[in-house]
Amino acid sequence: MVPDSITDNSQLTAAAGSGDDIVDQESSDLEKAAAILNRLGDCVRQQVLGRDNVIELVIIALVADGHVLLEDFPGSGKTTLAKALGEAIVSHNSIGESGIVPFRRIQFTPDLLPSDVTGVPVFDSNSNAFHFRHGPIFAHVVLADEINRTSPKVQSAMLEAMGEKQVTVDNVTYPLDPLFFVIATQNPLDLVGTYPLPTPQLDRFLFKITMDHIDREAELDVLETWQQRRDQCNQTHSITRDEILFARKAIDSSVLIGSSNKSALVDISRNLREDDRVLQGNSTRSMVLMMPALQTLAAMRGRNYVSAQDIEMLLPFVLKHRVELAPGVSDFNKVLSDCMRGPMEQLARGTLHK
Amino acid sequence: MLNIETETQGQSSRSQFLPTSLRASIIAASYWILSLSLTNLSGSVASFVGCLLGCYLVDHFINRQPLNRYKTVFIIAVCSLFLVSGLLLSDLIVASTMLAGLVSPMNSYNAGEFIKWFLISAAITSILRTCAHRTRFGAVLEILFVTTAFIITLSAHRNGMIHRPYFIGDFALMRGVDPASILMAMGSGAVLCLAALLMVESNHRRLPYHFSILALLCFSLLGYVQFFGLPSPQYTDDLGLTGAEQGNNASQSDNPFRDSENNPENLEAPVAIVLFRDDYEPVNGSYYFRETAYSQYNGSLLDTTNRDDMDQDLVSHFTNTRVAVSEALPGQDSRSKVRTSIGMLTPHRSPFGLESPLEFINTPNPNNLRFKRTYDVVSMAPVFSFDDLIGQETGAEFWSEEVWDEYLQLPDDPRYRELATDLIANLKPEYADDPFAWAYSIKTHLDENGIYSLKNDHAYEADPAASFLFGDLTGYCMHFAFSATYMFRSLGIPARVGIGYSVPASNRAGGSSLLIQAIHGHAWPEVYFRDLGWVIIDPAPQQTLVDMTTDPQNSLQQLLGDMLRNEASFDEFLNSQPNPLIPLETILTFLSLLAAAVLATAYGVKYYRLWVPQYSARENQYRLSYRAVLDRLSSSGIRRNTGESREAFASRVGDMAPSFKTITQQHLYCALGTGNSLNVQEETFNWNSVSHEIQQQLGKQLPLWKKVLAAINPFSWLTTR
Repeated sequence: MVPDSITDNSQLTAAAGSGDDIVDQESSDLEKAAAILNRLGDCVRQQVLGRDNVIELVIIALVADGHVLLEDFPGSGKTTLAKALGEAIVSHNSIGESGIVPFRRIQFTPDLLPSDVTGVPVFDSNSNAFHFRHGPIFAHVVLADEINRTSPKVQSAMLEAMGEKQVTVDNVTYPLDPLFFVIATQNPLDLVGTYPLPTPQLDRFLFKITMDHIDREAELDVLETWQQRRDQCNQTHSITRDEILFARKAIDSSVLIGSSNKSALVDISRNLREDDRVLQGNSTRSMVLMMPALQTLAAMRGRNYVSAQDIEMLLPFVLKHRVELAPGVSDFNKVLSDCMRGPMEQLARGTLHK
Repeated sequence: MLNIETETQGQSSRSQFLPTSLRASIIAASYWILSLSLTNLSGSVASFVGCLLGCYLVDHFINRQPLNRYKTVFIIAVCSLFLVSGLLLSDLIVASTMLAGLVSPMNSYNAGEFIKWFLISAAITSILRTCAHRTRFGAVLEILFVTTAFIITLSAHRNGMIHRPYFIGDFALMRGVDPASILMAMGSGAVLCLAALLMVESNHRRLPYHFSILALLCFSLLGYVQFFGLPSPQYTDDLGLTGAEQGNNASQSDNPFRDSENNPENLEAPVAIVLFRDDYEPVNGSYYFRETAYSQYNGSLLDTTNRDDMDQDLVSHFTNTRVAVSEALPGQDSRSKVRTSIGMLTPHRSPFGLESPLEFINTPNPNNLRFKRTYDVVSMAPVFSFDDLIGQETGAEFWSEEVWDEYLQLPDDPRYRELATDLIANLKPEYADDPFAWAYSIKTHLDENGIYSLKNDHAYEADPAASFLFGDLTGYCMHFAFSATYMFRSLGIPARVGIGYSVPASNRAGGSSLLIQAIHGHAWPEVYFRDLGWVIIDPAPQQTLVDMTTDPQNSLQQLLGDMLRNEASFDEFLNSQPNPLIPLETILTFLSLLAAAVLATAYGVKYYRLWVPQYSARENQYRLSYRAVLDRLSSSGIRRNTGESREAFASRVGDMAPSFKTITQQHLYCALGTGNSLNVQEETFNWNSVSHEIQQQLGKQLPLWKKVLAAINPFSWLTTR
């Protein structure tokens, strides 16, 4: 389902050597940020084969401070992906200081309790006091496996953490790290004994990514190189948490989102809400959440502005789980492309006007 | 079929609306044209509306419930049923006296025509459309139909024909416009319509570009005709107005009773047009034009004379100047002088004129292509009263004995005299010795007992007149004329058979022109009275087996009359036409000027947009240069699709013109970003050289004909997005 992206990075890096002293601070920051993201991508791509587009989306979500919902089947590499991401990020010295681990995986089951996720105060007989023991959620990258299998109570605890970046236990609020990123998964087919996430809760996920099987060459490649990848598993922690936070800031400050882009987004949303085939359109929040994602994608493509291409690329992943279609309508992509055509055309034409 | 798949999705019916409308209007136009000659205005309108309705209904419902469950044959059968019931219903409405009484007869007729043509066109369109949807050959039928309509319309004007039926050419001629340009426009329209229809059928809707080229070619052809005219078509001998040679006398065989080529198809063919310059109304209800006369008995029947001293009132040949009748015409007091102009549409051996002609004056032919010969005739037309005719002596004073004998010769058959004396036996005593009364009672006998018929059994008898007169009394004018003449002669009245045309006075319909048609060819008996000259005593049988009435062709009569008039009066006529609010000529000129202005403006804008980037300010370069590049692409038919992003378009075109990617990127940096990309400074980017590169890259890729088209297409910039 993930469309092929047009990568023009090669052009960018080929010409990058010619930079001179006119290059201003912002541009160089942006270049650094793009380089960081590329390195992160390379790290993850070494471990996960054939999922380049998903990796790109996941990194975008990470930098754009969003979360990702993966819809897939068992054994498709989501744990590998999340683990590779977590391992690529963490820096050695940060573990000791904050007690935050790079990667945790929570397997959601019907009998899971909120405290299993957030952590629980335990009585320390030595100090005669309760100490909060951090749950698995205190990590940079959290894989919430089969999130629809657990009770709504646990789901809501998880979602609070995702939304507010904090955990409240016994009226004490514990903040999470600024770099807190959740990859949740659910199996779209095996629905027995599940608690499907309602639309407002789905709204907290920046992207919902539906994954297909990887193609034949990539699958072969996986089998060819599995030993090699197993062995180098623990090497190359190349990206620090601070670098990612720097990239986030740089991108935020120096990638332009033109007003024409924004009006195109608003027009598309309005078109969707007015469309007869749509029961419920997307929220304003989704558009707000999408802004940093667009900026990040533009930066990864080596641009300092957001263009129509970025919107085209990200919009399906942002909207698919937020828009509820009328009964009998199944083809979301068609609805979306119908609603997009007009605003995108206006956006494209707009570049010829002042 | 792709068509069906897209239609089933409901939503896409909106996208089908335009092609459906296009197709519907083209087919409806052909209905309009076809119905014009067959019905009145309400019928034409109905056929147009019916066709539109049929098209839309079928296109909309053919693939939906419940229509999609029925078989094609069933739908066609239902349509045919509608058709038949419509015909019956309209007949009922027209025939019903009650409806005609309620509303006026004209309204009920209009309503009947409306219903009839509405259902005809709706049903036939539905059948055609259904076939086009369901079968492979259906679309071909439809296109054939439209083609036929255009061909019928245009072929009615081949070789410069007019009035067959009253069509576009006549309409234009009446308004003094050369019909060639109108017909050319129609031809161009036909080409465009057919091309459009073909494209709609094959779903190649995205070729409006080639369309505009086609239209441009058509219009330039029109412009050529407007300025340089058409080569004159080869007019056929019959001028497209008549069928076979109609010269009444020229083609006649030796025996006038055997001219069985009374071909009913050609009966309405125009023979000549007569313009009346003076007021005249015939006494007995018909205008007579004598061309020749049978006066000499040659042993078996009457024939044209070979004596110089007989029939001197006839002129046997045309001259280039003027020719006067050599014989003095008696009875000038009871005749009125009438000047007429005659334009012959078919060749004749002898001039003819309104009886009785004094002189024939050759006149310049206003239209060599239409008229074989034009001349003026000064006639002394008879306005005899009954008193004038009674008590006349017969025969002229200057006739010699031999001439007298010739005018009294008849077959050696005593029955003529017996019947004639029988007929005059019962006359009142005061008229018993009067030659006119004798002649009149003979005419009355034929009027009351004769039966007019084109079919008769007398043609091969030794004396057909006798066979007719003493047989079943069934025959046509020749029989009546010969019989009457023989009986006149048997009583000692000098008589002959006049040959020419006789046209009912009502045909003039108040106008000054009179159309002579082949059906008006006639033969009649005439008698010479000393003080009056030749007087026509024409039997008019009361019983007739053939319908010799024709539709009055008033418009053709008027049209030909106007052509025969000289230019000044034709202009006068044109000026007298109503509704010349804006003359057609002016409109045409205005339209062609407008088209020229539009073209010039379009070219101006096109080349301005290509040229302006070289001189524009730096801050506008990114827009104008990029626009110029897009213009170049779109003139070669390369366009961004609706909703496609600029980058996607650039990568699509990238294979053809690699530099286009670069310029697109730079353009977007300037339009959406700060202008400075991460590696290229806006100040250092040379827009003009990059667009020049693109031009060269395109030049290598495109074939020559595309380049030529790109250069001449004036509207390519309109499609730039």
